Amino acid sequence: MPLELAVEMRNITKIYPENNLRANDEVDFLLRKGEIHCLAGENGAGKTTLMKVLYGLEDHEGGTIRIRGNQQDISSPLVANRLGIGMVHQHFMLVEDFTVSQNVLMGIEPRKHGLIYDRKKADTLVNEVIGHHHFSIEANMLVRNLTVGQKQQVEIIKMLYRDVDILILDEPTAVLTEQEIESLFSTLKQLAQKGKSLILITHKLQEIKAISDRVSVMRQGKMLDTYETEEVDERQISALMMGKSISLSIEHGKKNTESRPVIEGRQITVLRQGQQRPLLNALSFTAYSGEILGFAGVSGNGLGVLEAVLGGFIPIYDGKVLHNGEDITNIGTALLRKQGLAYVPSDRLKVGSALKASVQENIIVGESGSFRKNGFIDQKKVTRHTNDLLERYSAKATAQMPIGTLSGGNIQKVILAREIERYQDYIVFSEPTWGLDIASSQFVYEQIASLRDKGAAVILISSSLDEILTIADRIIVLYRGTRVASFVGDEARNLSKEEIGEYMLGIRRQGAAHA
Amino acid sequence: MLDRKPHQSRRILPTLRSSAGSFLILLIALAGVVVLSLLLSKTPAKTLRYFFLGPLQNTYYFGNMLTSAIPLIFGGLGVSLAMRSGNFNLGGEGQIYSGALVTTLCAIYFAPLGLLGALLALCIGASVAGGLAGLSGFFRMKWNTSELITSFLISNAVVLVVNYLIAGPFMDPSTSLIATRKIPDSFRLSALLPPSNLSTALFFALVAVVAVHIYLYKTKSGYELRMTGLNSRFAKYGGINTKKFIVLPMFLSGFLYGLGGGFAIYGTYFSTIKEFSSGMGWNGLAVALIAKSRPSAVIPAALFFAYIEAGARSAMLHSDVTFEIAAIVQSIIFFFISSEVLLTLFEKKRREL
Repeated sequence: MPLELAVEMRNITKIYPENNLRANDEVDFLLRKGEIHCLAGENGAGKTTLMKVLYGLEDHEGGTIRIRGNQQDISSPLVANRLGIGMVHQHFMLVEDFTVSQNVLMGIEPRKHGLIYDRKKADTLVNEVIGHHHFSIEANMLVRNLTVGQKQQVEIIKMLYRDVDILILDEPTAVLTEQEIESLFSTLKQLAQKGKSLILITHKLQEIKAISDRVSVMRQGKMLDTYETEEVDERQISALMMGKSISLSIEHGKKNTESRPVIEGRQITVLRQGQQRPLLNALSFTAYSGEILGFAGVSGNGLGVLEAVLGGFIPIYDGKVLHNGEDITNIGTALLRKQGLAYVPSDRLKVGSALKASVQENIIVGESGSFRKNGFIDQKKVTRHTNDLLERYSAKATAQMPIGTLSGGNIQKVILAREIERYQDYIVFSEPTWGLDIASSQFVYEQIASLRDKGAAVILISSSLDEILTIADRIIVLYRGTRVASFVGDEARNLSKEEIGEYMLGIRRQGAAHA
Repeated sequence: MLDRKPHQSRRILPTLRSSAGSFLILLIALAGVVVLSLLLSKTPAKTLRYFFLGPLQNTYYFGNMLTSAIPLIFGGLGVSLAMRSGNFNLGGEGQIYSGALVTTLCAIYFAPLGLLGALLALCIGASVAGGLAGLSGFFRMKWNTSELITSFLISNAVVLVVNYLIAGPFMDPSTSLIATRKIPDSFRLSALLPPSNLSTALFFALVAVVAVHIYLYKTKSGYELRMTGLNSRFAKYGGINTKKFIVLPMFLSGFLYGLGGGFAIYGTYFSTIKEFSSGMGWNGLAVALIAKSRPSAVIPAALFFAYIEAGARSAMLHSDVTFEIAAIVQSIIFFFISSEVLLTLFEKKRREL
């Protein structure tokens, strides 16, 4: 007697005609009732597409879908919801100024006398669901005031309230802190025990091991196979995802004797309106040529603020920033760019690119002036330059495509190409591999290392400890906007994750900051 | 709350689709004409014949249809330019009107200067209109006020001021119209297709389309303007002075509207008549919306709008319907198009938050 199937997808084929891409190629996917099933694969492997087909967000060219044994035509999310399928997207769809219950009940509000929104009843209904599943929020809280993890809970409650019993979560941990991930996982386990069937789209190996019953691995639009999670280890999953095994590493630079200070921060203080605690508190650092200076920290402890300061987006209240000894404090992004700022931002979709503009228009931003001929932009020259970069950075794209149609990894390659091309003596990377697969991450690391070897002062801001430990030559740990520890050279390389984690969480701090 | 289907991945051929959207709305509008004629006219067949064929039946109607398209082309370009930069110019009414008045007055004053005077008058008139729009941009840059609201309010006030100036200090007592004095004969553009009102202003409108297209897609400034409009955070990050592209596009937008007013004087009206441009500003906005802010698409969109108006005029003269039929059809178009545009506008604002 086979186990009861919640979802049975057979021979699903999805073709994107714009680039003639087989995003799903005759994919089979089976979800058992009551299991937690991870759908793993690199960026662009087709995981999200497959789930969008299941949720009615994408139509498909071939194949059949059965839900609890019955063949269904899921033409829209409405149909999916009616069949008890829900999806929690990576980006939340919530009304910030509404309460939790208003968000949960949107479209199905309880009414008094058929007309008036019954707030009390709404809160009671939603609190019941919250209590039943042990969530940490309350129905009358304003969504604006919730943490990211709590907002995700609202999304899940929204689905639970609608009696969803097949729940798809798209990279649910990407935006969460460690503690939030833990609490999410315990929620998910409880849901599975209550008979809900869960699908997690992810490419994080530890998470697959930690939570799933089974794991399906996709590569290049094809389903490789499905495994009982306990029968495979992280290495095997990784090898399946990648197709070949690559370990992330770069060669560390030899200590360069001619190292000179390029960017200096002196007592940088950034205040936030109406808040006692400064966002950055008298932070000092020096970035030397031929060296990767890594800033580590848990999000919310000043990494993002430091990025905004270096990018010229926010002014500093006190202190100084120097570039080769020249004062560049608060001169603004446009002038910083003229000064030689090269910068790969953490938000590559909202800051690093204009999604509807073509790849080549994204390439020439800020430098369009150097492509002028007789006062006009020389389109041919721009296209030539762009094609040259795309080839050198092995980005799969054409110069004329809107950059928004590329995969995350390829968008990042275009941004890297642009910024590395314009770099003069220093470059800032913020979360350069966030959301990228292993091969793309390795590519980014190699680029960073080669810049360092060419003598660039590299500033790496990253909340990924693995990343910092893998590539940084020097590490500064930020906690609550203050430098709590710094490590140099071998000292940094021999640190354990646990040790540095204690600094990041504010459990330890170095007496006198050195380096 | 259900998730709307994401646009990006669903769109097979984005441009074709979006043009198809505009095309569909035009078809709905034409269907509206048919329905209204059936409802309102005792002789619907005759009404429809005059509506659809009237504007094309002789040079007089045809020429006048093209004439009314001219200010729509200028206005459509003006709004398109502002929208490409992420700004919205709702002040076309006041900008056309004031542009026309200032051009007229300057033209009369510069009469002895000949061609140079004509150009100067046109530039000054357009610059005043541009300044009015630019003011809204400046306010937004300085105090983050909504240029949508301020341009509308400023325009409303300006219309009243222009009305006063025409009826008061600058009124020409020798005519029974409430109008200024006429511009010198030598400043008038030569007529095309007499006896219609069409003049060589049409060619200037086409030149303006080409100029705006080249500006937007071939120059550095136009590139920076578009990037600011597509994603101002990206533009700022890339080193573009985004503040500049709040004020400049609004100025240029008003400038184009003002040119539309000026050319209407040089080519058609020869003096600023009270309320002569009423509705042109709004129709220019509708044209830009139909054209989805593409300069090249402004020409067909303006022609279509002018065609509807000319059709209604012809049907009114030869049949039993009133001119309101044009207003109703135009409102239908306006309604469908603007609702779609506002939707995308709000989506954009939300994404920026």
